[in-house]
Amino acid sequence: MTATATDTAAAPHAEPIQATPSGSLGRSVRRKEDQRLVTGHGRYVSDFQLPRMQHVAFLRSPYGHARITSVNTSRAEQSGRRVFTGADFMHVVLRARSSLPSYVETDQPVLAHEKVRYQGEPVAAVVASDRYLAEDGLELVEVNYEPLPATVCAWVSPREPVHPEAADNVLLERVFETGSVDAAFGDAAVVVERDLVTNRHAGNPMECRAGVALWDPSDRKLTFWSGTQVPYIVRNMIAELLDLPEGNVRVVAPDVGGGFGVKSVLYPEDVALCLMARAMPNVPLKWVEDRAEHLAAATHARDHRYLIKAGFASDGTLLAVQADVTVNVGAYSVYPWTAGIEPLMAGGLLSGPYRLDNYRCAVRGVATNTAPAGPYRGVARPASVFAMETVLDAAARELGMTGVDVRRKNLILPEDIPYKMPSGLVDDSGHYVECLTKALDALGYDDFLAEQERRRGTDEPPIGIGFACYNELTGLGRAASAGPRMPFRTGHDACTVRVNPDGKVTVFSGVTSQGQGLETTMAQIVADGIGVDYDDVEVRIGDTDESLWGFGAFSSRQAVIGGGAAHRAAAAVKEKVLALAAGLLEVDAAALHIENGQIGVVGVPDPALSIAEVARVAYLESHRLPKGIEPGLEATKFYDPIRGVFAAGAQVAAIEVDRTTGEVRILKYVCVEDAGRAMHPQIVDGQIVGAIAQGIGGAMYEHLIYDDAGNLSTGTLLDYLMPTSAEIPEMTIEHVSHPAANPLGVRGVGEGGTLGPNAVLAGAVSDALGIQIDTLPITPSTIWKELQ
Amino acid sequence: MKCAPFDYVRAASVDEVIRTLVGANGEGKILAGGQSLVPVLALRMARPSVLVDINRIPGLGTVTRDGSDVQVGTLTRHSVLAEQIHHPLLAEAARWIGHTAIRSRGTAGGSIAHADPSAELPVVAVGTGATVTMAGPGGTRSLPAGELFVSALTTSLAEDEMITSVRFPVPSRWGFAEFARRHGDFALVIAVVAEIEDSVRIALGGVGAIPVRAAAAEQVLANGGTAREAAAAASNEISPTADLHGSAPFRRAMAAEMVRRALAQAGVN
Repeated sequence: MTATATDTAAAPHAEPIQATPSGSLGRSVRRKEDQRLVTGHGRYVSDFQLPRMQHVAFLRSPYGHARITSVNTSRAEQSGRRVFTGADFMHVVLRARSSLPSYVETDQPVLAHEKVRYQGEPVAAVVASDRYLAEDGLELVEVNYEPLPATVCAWVSPREPVHPEAADNVLLERVFETGSVDAAFGDAAVVVERDLVTNRHAGNPMECRAGVALWDPSDRKLTFWSGTQVPYIVRNMIAELLDLPEGNVRVVAPDVGGGFGVKSVLYPEDVALCLMARAMPNVPLKWVEDRAEHLAAATHARDHRYLIKAGFASDGTLLAVQADVTVNVGAYSVYPWTAGIEPLMAGGLLSGPYRLDNYRCAVRGVATNTAPAGPYRGVARPASVFAMETVLDAAARELGMTGVDVRRKNLILPEDIPYKMPSGLVDDSGHYVECLTKALDALGYDDFLAEQERRRGTDEPPIGIGFACYNELTGLGRAASAGPRMPFRTGHDACTVRVNPDGKVTVFSGVTSQGQGLETTMAQIVADGIGVDYDDVEVRIGDTDESLWGFGAFSSRQAVIGGGAAHRAAAAVKEKVLALAAGLLEVDAAALHIENGQIGVVGVPDPALSIAEVARVAYLESHRLPKGIEPGLEATKFYDPIRGVFAAGAQVAAIEVDRTTGEVRILKYVCVEDAGRAMHPQIVDGQIVGAIAQGIGGAMYEHLIYDDAGNLSTGTLLDYLMPTSAEIPEMTIEHVSHPAANPLGVRGVGEGGTLGPNAVLAGAVSDALGIQIDTLPITPSTIWKELQ
Repeated sequence: MKCAPFDYVRAASVDEVIRTLVGANGEGKILAGGQSLVPVLALRMARPSVLVDINRIPGLGTVTRDGSDVQVGTLTRHSVLAEQIHHPLLAEAARWIGHTAIRSRGTAGGSIAHADPSAELPVVAVGTGATVTMAGPGGTRSLPAGELFVSALTTSLAEDEMITSVRFPVPSRWGFAEFARRHGDFALVIAVVAEIEDSVRIALGGVGAIPVRAAAAEQVLANGGTAREAAAAASNEISPTADLHGSAPFRRAMAAEMVRRALAQAGVN
């Protein structure tokens, strides 16, 4: 996911494009999945009922760090329940691998034995006929612990290492260095330095994790219905861990109720469920994570500290950045992404959309006795953008510039493209000033400045304006996904497009959907790619027995990569349709075109043939097949963009602060992004709005807090505050449209929205009150304290 | 997050509730709206042996004006309280309780019996000097709300007693102010101002284990002090504790501000 591509090939500069005049791309067509999702007929794993199904509950560690001295399951077993403990699965470990030189590989057990490393770690599992009885059974399992000193903060010395392999708890360290940093600081007119800490979050999809595993002993086949974002990776890893031929493992991700990254991890509970199913042939085993389990044991993110220093020339030019970034990666190196996922992303993208020649950034991932940290929408950048924008604002203040001017001075411009960032990533966008300018116009920047000025010295709540510019790295190809040096590259997806004998189209795509409307997107691409009606295309996703391959939903990759594969497969099928039609019509294929499922000859007004007729010949009337053409009408294609695609974005907001209570009210929030060609404008806007809402939650409300003993203090939604619709303002979403150099011209939009709110709101509060916001979240009590 | 096993009794009358509670030997719990009880059951933090469901008992959900008071039946839903016209302060307070779904189920008697120090209705009860009537094995008795609350989530209700109604005096002037992290959350601080029989009463929630009268602040007003002076006095006479959402000094400051706002709303200057 993290990237350090060094490919510097130029990206072509295409002109902004208009929505497709005919066809479905570029239009907000009715989403295919909404008929079932909106009417309550979604097929979620959480709702699955199968004959003979049994339910699993996990016994979880009450301690943050402790030695397990004994486990006694006899009472639970005497009650008639099946019980599994760490001893049953000692031979299976999750070991996230990377060949980065400093990386310390560690093992994660399926069920803890010897010791527990975070509160909530699964220690045993009880199987019963329903979840209530399974949870009753947990109370009959006796585990004795000998508590060990817990370490919950990544920037204090550990009292007792989490893993023996890493005495200092450091699982990974890397230094990014370019240019002459020390000399550049020597030349700087202004040097700003800050110590910034960001808050730990949970992903909190509406549907928590869920799985049903079934082992069929007669054909030695495991089926795992899982609410995962990455079914093919899960199949690959489960087959390896269970020592099964990959063809004997089927993973199905049907409708999934949100993911946000936390479901792109293979968890110990997933593996335990499959191992238990294998031990209980023909019995489907179901586990649905509850919200308390989710907060305690699904991956966390964003627990970072940035010691950041930046030097500027007197005209505001950014000369150098030096940073030391510590990321709390929790108790285990998350499988399979490794403990590098957040630190490497932070180091690779810290300088964001700003020109910078001199950069030194040390990043480290430090293990602690907290839940493992993993991918969460925006991976590291909501924190790194906050760090970068904070030093820009600080410098602007010292230089007597506006926050807008210091950004305009340093943003990467279209003429700089391709721009090699100091981390080696290549920015192919450069449309940041355009985004920022458009955002300021939409905000009514000048009016808010005037109002801000008018309120000074009055009793009215002061106004603040905040800014964030970011370059969201999306759709990472094989080069861009090489950074973490994992034993796989996530650059490609596959898609099969099949025209059925009746001329309708079925798409077997490797993408997965957790609500983003990928069925719709793939159908639009294929419909336009062949020239058939959107309504005549159906899409199958999420079942590893149906489609060939896809890495899944992460890194804002599927529109770019899965979409590219769909486009290529559609083009290949279209080519065969045309070849077959050309043979039937005895004309040159180059003289044919397809529109709305009808094949026409150039210059002839009426269609000559329908795709349905061609399909009938392809499958049923082999006697009519033109010479040299095989039966069937299907193609499978892969797509890999090799590099990544940057999506430019700017967010700005005006807020007011109640000086008495510290409450922040968002008056107006604007985002302008470059989605390239927006295939479905409503889905694009939905992604951006949802991501900003999550970002606002992170900036102002959400905070996972452990006490020093390793107890999670925010274990329910009573204390872990999610934003509701009442907390999220209306937003203004606008676009610039610069197509990317990929088959569809698209840039990913899944995550970018989360990148801005920390920086925008912290900057706005600082602007309103003249205080420094160094620690997130921004709460009434922290603002109030700063004002005393 | 599934409840431990319990027996369930759907009571048809208050007498049946009391009989069942007596038979449960202190292990019984009344299920009204369930908005606080059910989460606690699911977390296995409460493990009653018997749950007595009072939702089907007739006649316990009415709101009636009775002279200078309003009588609120124990099963009155918050949504009903929010819409009744007899007691505007109660209506305003009820609007601050949770969200629509919670207000549709949660009950007045349940909220007061649960005695969450950050809940709205207990503060209104103390602020207006409400009288709580409860049934028990020896018949019914009544208690001023100020004597009902013992500590956080604890009342002087016996294990075999049940609140049947609460009588709220209607204030001639009133104010209600609440500070919470999000709309619908339990409050960090609640201030209730109620003018009853020409004297201004001030009650605070969220600043200690139980809702409290701000006696010193009331005295400031009785002595002709200003609202701002009363607010300052209120923040000095309380002993809030810190939690995840605010330090003690922050709560003290919020108490002063909420008292100021509630007094302003009541028209007390």
